[in-house]
Amino acid sequence: VTRAGARPGGILVVEDDPDLLAIMEMILSDAGYDIRTAPDGAVALARVAELMPALIFLDMRMPVMNGWEFAREFRSRHPDACPIVVVTAAEDARRRAEEIGADGWIAKPFDLEDVLGAARRHVGTPPRPAPSAP
Amino acid sequence: VELLATIDSMADGVLLVDAQARIVETNRAALELLGVSSKDDVLGPIGEWGRRFQLRTVEGRPIDVADYASVRALGGQRVAKYDAVLRHADGHDVFVSVAASPVAGAGGPPLAVAVLRDVSAAHRLEEIRDEFLSTAAHELKTPLAVIKAHAQLMQRRVPSEAQALAVVQRQVDRLSRLVQHLLDTSRLRLDEAGGPRAPFDLGSLAAEVAERMRAASPSHHIVLEPAPKAPVVADRERIERVITSLVENAIRFSPGGGEVELRVDSADGSVHVAVQDHGLGIPPDRQARIFERYYRAHAGMREDYGGLGLSLDVSREIVQRHGGRMWFESTPGVGSTFHFTLPLEAAT
Repeated sequence: VTRAGARPGGILVVEDDPDLLAIMEMILSDAGYDIRTAPDGAVALARVAELMPALIFLDMRMPVMNGWEFAREFRSRHPDACPIVVVTAAEDARRRAEEIGADGWIAKPFDLEDVLGAARRHVGTPPRPAPSAP
Repeated sequence: VELLATIDSMADGVLLVDAQARIVETNRAALELLGVSSKDDVLGPIGEWGRRFQLRTVEGRPIDVADYASVRALGGQRVAKYDAVLRHADGHDVFVSVAASPVAGAGGPPLAVAVLRDVSAAHRLEEIRDEFLSTAAHELKTPLAVIKAHAQLMQRRVPSEAQALAVVQRQVDRLSRLVQHLLDTSRLRLDEAGGPRAPFDLGSLAAEVAERMRAASPSHHIVLEPAPKAPVVADRERIERVITSLVENAIRFSPGGGEVELRVDSADGSVHVAVQDHGLGIPPDRQARIFERYYRAHAGMREDYGGLGLSLDVSREIVQRHGGRMWFESTPGVGSTFHFTLPLEAAT
């Protein structure tokens, strides 16, 4: 099996606040998405190297490698890879998204539907996790 | 001679300007403020003086000589103080508050006196406060996001607690709006340029706002008189916030419900928007201060409806940056009408 464990619909959430990361994971898992997480851009780069997700939710302000740095590095290593949706506290979320060529943006504080809507748009309806074979 | 000595010992810079708009007298404080040692560096045509010391608005735009406070004062009017920037001889910027008035002479040619006060320290303090507000507001958004998301997720998972969780959400939304207000004021000052300007119809925008506010406040009857086309070129998002906050205020300060009228009409190259309520009105002794930042006309009174008191100050600033004006009339117990204008897009 190539790319063992690769499931279409996997979403990577990159966020430095552990509580926000946890709630994003809960929202998306509840809806049936397969989620992986990273606390900063550097870890996120390692995660996508292991396994390319179908979508990345990206925080912009992070201590180790911030959203701008991550996006630049990610795009240069993996051109035409998966879409990125920016999750930001900045007043002008749209401009942040344009700056890094992202495919969408969510302004904090967000509604559940903002997150689920972005997931549906870019990944499709959640693939209910099948009982995975060992 | 005694008069000159008095002027010289004043703490504020003084420029005496004659009918030909030449500076004919100044004082020690003015020399210190500009960083020069001789009056000869200051005396002479005021336009040259302005160029030499790079007189400009706080936003950095050069000021027309005709608009100099002293030149306007030569025309006989008192010029209320406003802030401007000067370049000190050593190269740093000095923020000054400028005021000017005509000198009541004994029938001779007119003279004007301009007073310059160094407000750099106060200005710096304001900048620090804006940066602080902006950072604080940002930092508040992540915890708000966590609380709101948990409340919404729990609402789905535990339907029996839906009501309590709806309250949590409503309060989070309220906090978010306050945070947004803080950001708006600090952003206006940090980001002087503002958002992109595009053409749109102000009447349609007013209709959208009226529609939204009707849904938000069913106890008030929000009336929008049908308006002719009013094309403007403006930052739509900010103008929408201006109209929204005027209507919000009208609703907030007419707690008994009733009619709120929204009118849009255009004449003489500008569009005029009016928002009228039949509510509490503003006490006369407080009317002069309502555009001050953070001032709340009803603070401490029985009718104190909370809020941060930011939006009128912000609203007026937004309108002024678009080349418009904002003003109001108010009678306690009868109600208030807030007006603003924007330049009409030239029909081409």
